[in-house]
Amino acid sequence: MLKKLLIVFALVAVAAAQQPNKSKAAAAPAPGNSGTIVLKGGKLLTITHGVIDNGVIVMENGKITAVGGASTAIPHNAKVVDVTGMTVYPGLIDSETHLGLVEIEADRMTVDTVETSDEIMPHMHVYDAFHAESALIPVTRINGITNAIVAPAAQDTLPGQDSFIELAGASAQEMLMVRDIAMPLNFTGKQRRNESFQNSKFPSTRMGMAAQLRQAFIDAQDYDQKLQAYEKKKSSGSSGGNGDDKDKDKDKDKDKGPGNPPKRDLKLEALLPYLHGERPVVLAAEEPNDLQTALGLAREFHLKVILNHVTHSSSLLNMIAATGLPVIVGPIYEQPKESERYDAVFKLPAELAKRGIKIAFASYDTHNARNLPYVAGYAVAFGLPYDDALKALTINPAQMWGVDKELGSLDVGKRANIVVANGDPLDVRTDVKHVFINGQEIPLVSKQTQLRDQYWK
Amino acid sequence: MVRHYRVYWVALLVLLLGVFVLSQQQNPSQQPSPSSQNPASPEAPTPGAESKSQEKQENATPNEKPVQQPPAIHNDVVIKGGMLLTVTHGRIENGSIYIHNGKIAAIGANVQAPANATVIDATGKWVMPGIIDSHSHIALDDDVNEATSPVTPHMMMKDAFDYNDKMIYRALAGGVTTSLLLHGSANMIGGQAIVIKHKYGLGRDELLFPGAPQSIKFASGENPKRVYGSRNQLPSTRMGNFAVMRQAFLDAREYMRDWDDYDAKAKKGDKDARPPKKDLKLEALADILRGKLLVQIHCYRADEFLTEMALAKEFGYKVRAFHHAVEAYKVADKIAANGVAIATWPDWWGFKYEAWDGIPWNAVISMHKGVRVALKSDSEDVTRRLNQEAGKIIHYGNVSEEDALKMITLNPAWIIGVDDRVGSLDVGKDADIAIWNSYPLSSVALVDKVLIDGDLFFDRSLPGLGMPHYKEGQ
Repeated sequence: MLKKLLIVFALVAVAAAQQPNKSKAAAAPAPGNSGTIVLKGGKLLTITHGVIDNGVIVMENGKITAVGGASTAIPHNAKVVDVTGMTVYPGLIDSETHLGLVEIEADRMTVDTVETSDEIMPHMHVYDAFHAESALIPVTRINGITNAIVAPAAQDTLPGQDSFIELAGASAQEMLMVRDIAMPLNFTGKQRRNESFQNSKFPSTRMGMAAQLRQAFIDAQDYDQKLQAYEKKKSSGSSGGNGDDKDKDKDKDKDKGPGNPPKRDLKLEALLPYLHGERPVVLAAEEPNDLQTALGLAREFHLKVILNHVTHSSSLLNMIAATGLPVIVGPIYEQPKESERYDAVFKLPAELAKRGIKIAFASYDTHNARNLPYVAGYAVAFGLPYDDALKALTINPAQMWGVDKELGSLDVGKRANIVVANGDPLDVRTDVKHVFINGQEIPLVSKQTQLRDQYWK
Repeated sequence: MVRHYRVYWVALLVLLLGVFVLSQQQNPSQQPSPSSQNPASPEAPTPGAESKSQEKQENATPNEKPVQQPPAIHNDVVIKGGMLLTVTHGRIENGSIYIHNGKIAAIGANVQAPANATVIDATGKWVMPGIIDSHSHIALDDDVNEATSPVTPHMMMKDAFDYNDKMIYRALAGGVTTSLLLHGSANMIGGQAIVIKHKYGLGRDELLFPGAPQSIKFASGENPKRVYGSRNQLPSTRMGNFAVMRQAFLDAREYMRDWDDYDAKAKKGDKDARPPKKDLKLEALADILRGKLLVQIHCYRADEFLTEMALAKEFGYKVRAFHHAVEAYKVADKIAANGVAIATWPDWWGFKYEAWDGIPWNAVISMHKGVRVALKSDSEDVTRRLNQEAGKIIHYGNVSEEDALKMITLNPAWIIGVDDRVGSLDVGKDADIAIWNSYPLSSVALVDKVLIDGDLFFDRSLPGLGMPHYKEGQ
């Protein structure tokens, strides 16, 4: 008995010793050239050109080089994987996670999700905190999620800028596919600093939030003008000027030179690409009033917008459709309003898609980002057409994030991020059997599979 | 617990002999309420205070409308033509269920029912017992946690039960018919739970599961030590946690001895004998030691399962189930050997240190090592789709359909102590039945209809909320 107990304690101790941060599984194999791999016999969900039964897909040098039926030529030196009876689909894209920003939520030291010292923090870049060796990443990718948005948490109106990651790579450098891909603009009311009447500080109301945001964008516009004026002076100084109706002034300025550049302000500088419409703002609102206020602000400053949540804005579906803006929808697991039918939020994806709105799904999770496909499955239960559900995990987010040349479908020339599973990718019962990222097979190993193998005897 | 088993076998025999007699006895209005079995309940009779307590009961809810009976409890209902997932004896294709007086009176491929029975056509549908959530905090508003002392066994969740909470309806629409509403996890020894049936739209007492045993919530690990430690109070460590429990039970023993002494003296006719002061808290602790309460322990870590079981042995009570139990797979053989069940999530992990080693194979490893496993929600969200949680267990492998179904029906019923009443499609059981539009262990299944005690409480095809018994503004 004592011996048995000792063994148990020893095992517990081993497990405990494994806990700190980096399990071996977290270190992904380096992607890149890995020879030619062929998946043969599977049902291919190409997303862009239908379903191919008994199909063949060829991966070379990290890219898809052929997709077709059984007669597709197989390169003679290829490694052929028989996936007969399996379903093959592009790696899924999660449009909002905190992967790499949090390990154990309850332990502050492992949490880098948001800087709450101020509400306007656009110069926070999640890539500066992204922890490539996080144990959560292998847990997520072995369920078929190969790419994700890493976003700061939503306690600030402007909490920082998102990065788009690949869930495998030798380092953070490799995994961070697109840095500063977008900027969240949160307007849900949760950004108010109104914890208690005594401890309230500005902005403690929605008026405060809106005023503060407007001021931030106006400050950035001013900063932008100063910068441009300086650049103009500088360039006119160096070029010597050519046919301008302000020749006189210019001559005067030339003598003085451009002077000192405006003092650099990281916060305002970070807003410029968004003011210029170069990158999208991810505008998060739930209630109809918030959605309209935030959209008004975005229009005022000509921001490029991707909508986020719209959870309780079912009264504005036609208005949303008229804007033509894409929507990251959910979480569909939010509770409906008190008087609403139980399925009011569950059926939101179907209602949006029905109006021709482009939707993408997000897990809005981190430890269980792996459950992303089941969100889409549940939306299908409540009326979303199956093909639309699949697109909302693949090609739609790829287009929304501007990475559709690389990702989102099984097409020749795209990055070979491919998943093989024993059934419908959206079903809770389905088990993923192979994951390829950038043409490289990812071992189906995580901290969790290691514990399973240690104890399941 | 021994007593409970006896009840189980007796009930089973009675069921085999004659369903109808029993079903009439179990008419909700004739059943004692769960709390009346419990001396610690403020509404229960205490020695020498019978009249007072009766008065209390009558005046308990002055503002409440008179108890509403469901409009029409159909005496005879037949569910016809579905694929029946019985949970205890496999699938029955194109089967029928005959319901009489709220109980399952017959089930099979060919079932005789009176010609005037109400027919529910389930052709092409999937029929299973109502889902049972063995860990829920819905309908308690923000009164879940009396986090002012680590020992509060005299807190009665019934006193906070908000039977108008729409969450009861939303869970019902996900196929849930019975839930265990537990105290929170701030306290090593928390309050006493209630078992409800999701008969949304009826009066408060009609939602209480008649005759269900009383459960009590314990907690261990990070939550109590965080709550009290952050105030620089005892406990702030796991040593403190267990010391608090041990002291509480020692106090209860002394209290019991004082009463025993008094009873013995009184019995001998000692006129000078004075009764000790009644103390609700010690009374409730004594009930744990007397084995009157099912002990439900919030517990994550492998070592703590062992410590909790050792403590239970030391003080002579039994643990019914470990809840959350994310590391059960590490000591599953020991948990199984003690006859303790677990109520866990399929895949929650990592949100705090004691959940860091959670793995989605916990349920199935524990099951194969002999542990009775339930999947529970502990969540307003997940309670609405526990069927998918059972589906995930199939994903993680090596489990049969029936075992996966048991994890959301019969096994949680056992944890709550009502497995002789609900949790499977068997003759004699309450007709708590969910009818699905497709295979319930999939992502795309929706609940079409839910019956509780043979009466229709949810019907997706109805407009509005889909509830025959509910009117807005009620």
